[in-house]
This record gives sequence, structure tokens and C-alpha cells, in this order.
Amino acid sequence: MDEIESKLRQTAKQLLSEGKVDLLIGYRQGSLPSKTTPCFITQEQEAAELVWNSFCTNNLAVYLPGLFRLDPRSKKREQKKVGIVVKGCDCRSLVGHLKEGQVPRENLVIIGLPCQGMIDEKKIVAKLEGKEIIKAEEQNGQILVVDEKGQEIRLAKEDFLRDCCLVCQHPVPPLYDILIEGKTARQAVSDEYTEVKELEERSIDQRWEFFQRQMSKCIRCYACRNACPLCYCPECFAEQSQPRWVGTTDDPSDIMAFHLGRIFHTAGRCVDCGACEAACPMGVELRKLTRKLIKDVGELFGYEAGVSAEEPPPLATYKLDDDDEFIK
Amino acid sequence: MTEKILTKDKQKEFLSRLIKVYQVFAPVEKEGNLLFSQINTPEELAEEYRNTKLPPKELFFPHSEALFRFRKGQVIEESPNEAERVIFGMRPCDAKSLTLLDMVFNTEGFKDPYFIARREKTTVISIACAQPQITCFCTSFGGSPVSEEGSDILLFDLGENYLVKSITPKGQQLIDSLGGLLTDAQKSDLKKRDELIKTALAEMKSEIPTEGLKEKLEGMFDSPIWEKIHLKCLGCGICTYLCPTCHCFDIVDEAVDSEGKRVRNWDSCMYPQFTIQASGLNPRLSNKERLRQRMMHKFNYSVSNYGQTFCVGCGRCIRNCPVNLDIREIVKLISGKQEAGRSFQ
Repeated sequence: MDEIESKLRQTAKQLLSEGKVDLLIGYRQGSLPSKTTPCFITQEQEAAELVWNSFCTNNLAVYLPGLFRLDPRSKKREQKKVGIVVKGCDCRSLVGHLKEGQVPRENLVIIGLPCQGMIDEKKIVAKLEGKEIIKAEEQNGQILVVDEKGQEIRLAKEDFLRDCCLVCQHPVPPLYDILIEGKTARQAVSDEYTEVKELEERSIDQRWEFFQRQMSKCIRCYACRNACPLCYCPECFAEQSQPRWVGTTDDPSDIMAFHLGRIFHTAGRCVDCGACEAACPMGVELRKLTRKLIKDVGELFGYEAGVSAEEPPPLATYKLDDDDEFIK
Repeated sequence: MTEKILTKDKQKEFLSRLIKVYQVFAPVEKEGNLLFSQINTPEELAEEYRNTKLPPKELFFPHSEALFRFRKGQVIEESPNEAERVIFGMRPCDAKSLTLLDMVFNTEGFKDPYFIARREKTTVISIACAQPQITCFCTSFGGSPVSEEGSDILLFDLGENYLVKSITPKGQQLIDSLGGLLTDAQKSDLKKRDELIKTALAEMKSEIPTEGLKEKLEGMFDSPIWEKIHLKCLGCGICTYLCPTCHCFDIVDEAVDSEGKRVRNWDSCMYPQFTIQASGLNPRLSNKERLRQRMMHKFNYSVSNYGQTFCVGCGRCIRNCPVNLDIREIVKLISGKQEAGRSFQ
């Protein structure tokens, strides 16, 4: 077994047995070879089920606001202690929750893991050209895949990383109680906004056409929203009926209004964890929009979301010496 | 009912002739997704595929559908689509799902004219599965990769030829209209077909315990299993929207002043607003109640109402769930064959 995975299990077991956490959220092997699945463990013997490998794509921070939400019936908040396994991006989402007062810091035990980048299952599926994955595991920086014909294929992990991992600048969690060290985090790339710049250079008409084409794929399943750690509103504007802000049909204008409304709410908050795109069953390229916002917020306010727990969020503060460049 | 042979070199002519007479829908690669779309040339049909990303239900029960329009108190009826249609290349699980949807939209005391009109005007040509996927479990719910249920015509891919079997009079009529394009099947073809059926059934890797599932669920409304399985659920609509049998909808008025339309939109029992009442009360407060509802509806309520489980085992919800919440695991849990929360294997 992997050394880090073993340390993780040990840590989890100890936290549960010593009563330092009531619940621990981590990853377990999923029902399909190339998937892990989030797990919620409460017993120390369950710690042996935890895994840590290149398929731990889900951002587990998405579950936190719900766990600490005021119960609508009892009007009480859960007081349980929650342990959570986080990569760099997951941790930055969690920092956002702390800043926005969604999750009490004192109830959390953050188990940080330096991230070597996660695999995009869809890229492996594309490589196999329709053949099914029977087995997928990491071996010395390579991904060993066995397809349904029994053929073994070795893939260079780097070529099958998620797009968000390729441009990640913060693979090490910026905040943690326990850091499980062992492997060094993945080295970040130099120019992270190549794709955004390419889009910026297109004409307005071309950009509009691009976004319309993307949105035409949407089926309004709201998976992007529900997978997003930032979308914790108890009632989403897209579904409110009194008043109704956005139509619920599949009309392109309704779909566009939902996505633009949701994505603009993530400005200055999105950490590019890639959960929205990973969840989308239809392959809508949502990160094209969110990345542009991240770039803009960086240029306008010199701010990066989730990196520091103290720095005030740019859209929730003001500075007297702000030159208000953006509204001139 | 007859069994004919369509040689693959005549497949294009076959489709071209259908396109002349019918609106033809078939699996088409569109922006990276395999979807049922109308084709105007045979070349648009995807070459090799397992199954489409979205089920065919949208062709009968669209995501959004104007039921009628209104203008200053006057109702203007929507004229239904008059065209005769063929859906080519459906899989047997999806074809079966149409028979389940019939029970909902075309049943005694409730006849949905929009759905029924589309069903009546559609001929379904399915292709038997020779290579089921690892997420396929149709046989667990009485289906089969080679099932005829819901199809008007069923094709078997014999390599160089298709064996074409008419299942219904509607299918027979279509075959008859093609005249000499199809030839009579020989004994050797039928033998090949039987081999394909054998292989396909042997290839079914996923089997789940479903015996007595409905009865087990009777006493499980307050079972502790619901406390655990919903924890990782994100509450999105993928499982319901990609499900060939889920059919819940919401009706809204889209209007400006006194002019507009009454629209029926897909809805999902996984959404918080699904059960919110005018008083503001929401009887299904969390994913726990919503996921329980989804399971109860598929495996218990629909059996009571229609005598059928509303799951055809297509596996779309398994392949596409963002958190790998596998419906097979849930069924195993209900059946008591698996420890709470443990993984599927």
C-alpha cells in the first residue's frame, strides 16, 4: 500500500478513536474502476477503507456548509466535529467557507494532502475509443489501464491530468491541522491563462457564438451548481418561484441566464477546483467563464481566492484608496 | 412476423429511403455527446456506439413543451407535430422504457395527448446489444440485451448483415414498404443470431438481487439505511434527467402581461423545490427524503401502480453520477446483501 494512504488511514483511525472527530469525510474506492467515491466514516475500523490516489477528484468541501446549516425544523446547528481530507483546491474552497461564515473553524479538523494532480477520467475514456475500463491504477507515475479486451495500456499520468490540475498554482493546502507529507506536490506551469487569453482575443461575436454553443449542451440538471462548494445557498435564484428570476425552460436565454447568474456569483470566490466541469454530464466548458473571472479578479484586485484566511474578499470589502479603475 | 436480412452495404440506402418518408432520428455525435437527433443523410448516424448519453424520452416528452398559448383570455391550442417518425438505433433497454412511459402517459383515466400523438406517429427500430457495458444490468429487472419489448423492429448485428425482425404490425408495415431492399433470412443467419444472443447474455456482467425488492421496501420508509446513503448525494438532477423512465414535470406559465404560454418542464424529485408547498412547507427537507422518494418510486410505488419496476438497467445514472452513488449498491443495501455504506464490489 502507498505510504501516504497508510498514513492517512492511521491519522483517520486515531482521530476517530480519540474522539477528536465524530465524522470524517474522505475517499473510498468507487463502484467503477476509475472512480473513487466520497465516504463519510464514523467508526475507526472504517478508516481502513480510505484511499488516496490519482482518482480523488471530488472536492469534498462541497459537503461542509450543508453539515453545519441551521436545521429548518429544530433551528439548531450541528455541533459535531468533522474531519475532512483536502487537496490544495479543496482546502481553498474551505477557506472560502470560513471567510463567508458558513463553517465554524473550531468544529473542523483539516487533513491536508499535497496534490500531485488528479486524473481526468474522461480523457482516459477518450483514449480508449469506446472500450471500457476494467482496471485503472497508478504505478510509479504511470496509469495502468486494462480495457475490456484484457489489453494493458500504460499511460503517462501527466497527459491525462484534469485541465484544472495542469494550471494549478496551489497544490499544497494553504491551511491544515494535519499535513500528510510524503510526496512533493506537482510543479505548477508558468503561464496559466493561455486558454483564457486565446478566448479574449476573439471578437465579441465569436465569443458569443462560443458560449451559445457551450450552453446549447446544457440540460439544466444543476450538477455544476450542486458540485460547486461555493453554491451553498439554501434556495438558488434559478429555482425561486416567488419572485421568479429565471425561467425554468430549456430556452437558450433561460439556460444562459442561469449560468451567467451562477458563475458571476463565484467571482472572487472560485478557486478553479474543476468540480463544475467534472460533474457536467454534457461536457459544457464552464471553466472558460470561471477562469476569465479568476484572471480578472487577479488583475483588478490582486486577489486570489482561498489562499489566505485573513485577506478580505475583494467583492465584500472596500478601500478608500481604490482607484475604481473598473468603472471608468 | 418476418425475419429479413439487410446487408450492411445497403444500410445507407435503407436509411435514405426512410428519410424520404419519415423524420428519422438516430444516434448522432454532437459536440462530444452521442444524442438522438434528426438525421437528413445516412452519413450523420454515429458509426459505432454502446448507447446514447441521453435516453430517447425527450423525443416523446420534451424537456420543455408549450401545452397551449394564451392571449387576453383566449386559449390558442398548440398543434402537435404531424410528421411520421422513425427512431433508428435505440437499445432494447430504452425501447422497454417507452412501454413504461406509456403506462404513465397513456393509462386509464389519464391520457396525455401530446405524448400519445408522438408515440402513435413513431416507429422504433432497435439494435440488440452485442456488447453490454459494465454498468448494464437490464437482466436484473426482466430486460435483456436482445429484448424485443417496446421495439417495432429489432435488428441483430451479424457482422456483414443485419438480421431484421419485425415485432409489431407497425414494424411489419415499414419492412413491407421497403420491398426488395431486404432479403429473406437463411437458416445460417438465424444460427448467427442465436449465437449473438448467447454471447450478449453471457457478456452481462452486472447482476443485482431484485427478488422481493418491492415487498422489502414496504417496511423501510424509516429504515436507517436512508440516513447513510444520501450523505454523498449532491442533489443534482443527473440521475433523473438521464433516466429513461423518470418522467416528473412542472407546469409554469411563461407570460408577459396577458400573453404567453403554459409550459411543461422536466422536474426532478432530487430538487428542493419539487415538493415545496404554497404555505412554504417542504415535506422533503433534505437529500435523505428525496433519494428515498426516488428509490421508493422506482422500486415500490410504480410496482403498486403499474406492476412494473421503473428501472430498465441502462446504467446511465451510474456512469454519470458525479459522486459515484451507484443505484446497484442501493438496491443491494435494500435487499440486505450489503453492509451499509460499503462499496459495491
